[in-house]
Amino acid sequence: MVFEFMSRILGRKNRLGSKDLAKERLKLVLAHDRVSISPQMLERLRRDLASACAKYVDIDEAGMNIRFDSSDRSLALIASVPVIGSKQSTHTSKKRRGKSG
Amino acid sequence: MNGKVMVVTSGKGGVGKTTAVANIGCALAARGKKVALVDADIGLRNLDIVLGLENRIVFDLIHAMEGRCRLRQALIRDKRVQTLFLLPAAQSKDKDAIMPEQMKELTGELADEFDYVILDCPAGIERGFKNAVVGADSALIITTPEVSAVRDADRIVGLLEAEGILEPKLVINRLRPDMVKRGDMLDIDDVIDILAIDLVGVVPDDETVITSTNRGEPAVLDGASRAGEAFRRIAARIEGEDVPFLSMEAPGFWWRVKRFLGAGR
Ligand SMILES: Nc1ncnc2c1ncn2[C@@H]1O[C@H](COP(=O)(O)OP(=O)(O)OP(=O)(O)O)[C@@H](O)[C@H]1O
Ligand SMILES: [Mg+2]
Repeated sequence: MVFEFMSRILGRKNRLGSKDLAKERLKLVLAHDRVSISPQMLERLRRDLASACAKYVDIDEAGMNIRFDSSDRSLALIASVPVIGSKQSTHTSKKRRGKSG
Repeated sequence: MNGKVMVVTSGKGGVGKTTAVANIGCALAARGKKVALVDADIGLRNLDIVLGLENRIVFDLIHAMEGRCRLRQALIRDKRVQTLFLLPAAQSKDKDAIMPEQMKELTGELADEFDYVILDCPAGIERGFKNAVVGADSALIITTPEVSAVRDADRIVGLLEAEGILEPKLVINRLRPDMVKRGDMLDIDDVIDILAIDLVGVVPDDETVITSTNRGEPAVLDGASRAGEAFRRIAARIEGEDVPFLSMEAPGFWWRVKRFLGAGR
């Protein structure tokens, strides 16, 4: 209680200033500006990524989220792919690939 | 060619390019350097009035380029700082009236005679931008601590890279320490973190910029102006001096600007 009160007075940490929002938004938009990838290409990337992951694990494709992040002018592709379950074993997945191929 | 050719650019309009060119140029000249300021904002001439030289224009950049006068004739010498010269923009033409190759030739010719050739770039990223950067070997990017200006500055970093101008230096203009303190304005760290280029100076938002512009006397000539002091420090850093960053005083408290990039180390 006391600590919270103190930190509210001293730090103003409780209130998120508008600049934090500005920074967050800027970082996101700049990462996308920097890759300059079209929405169509981004969608293809998402689908390819989903099918690649689906070879190894069961995923929730609708819950997927991909974005670009940048720091120090270098870019990273950040993907979060919800996994529902794993494929039974490497054995079965090999069998499957064998069937389709 | 031995002088430095430096373009001052921003992408977004109205962030302080012309103000920076006038002040940094004037400060460099006051340090004894021979400086030519080139107004590359064709059709929107402004550097002349900011410098208080608007009544002395006879010829302009396009006259010189088209051979209608000699380059020397188009250069206006400042009466206060004798080593400062202005090559004014043409007011009647538009940005498409000149070609990048012509601009390159002109800046090359100036660089033979001057220590610094500083180009005031128009806003935008079209032909006018291309013309202003083509002859430059270094760049100063001006931004304000606002999302749109920072975003455009980032774009400019990429475009300069494509033109072969690497490692541009950053000037953050119109910083308001009171707003930074409240957490309502991007601070210096934030902007550097986002743009990831070297900082060369921070200029506070300061009324004396407007009053000095009203008079046609760059703020660096006013010893009491905080913005003027910031611009003088930028000039010193451009000259290779290791100058500590200004600590800015906001109403009611001290706010210390952190030191970056080894300044003052
Ligand atoms: N540090 C500052 N403090 C207060 N006012 C400033 C500061 N810097 C610039 N200004 C004001 O902001 C306005 C725009 O500045 P300036 O003309 O230098 O911008 P610019 O980038 O050259 O604009 P444009 O893109 O139109 O060429 C001017 O009125 C100027 O006086
Ligand atoms: Mg201007």
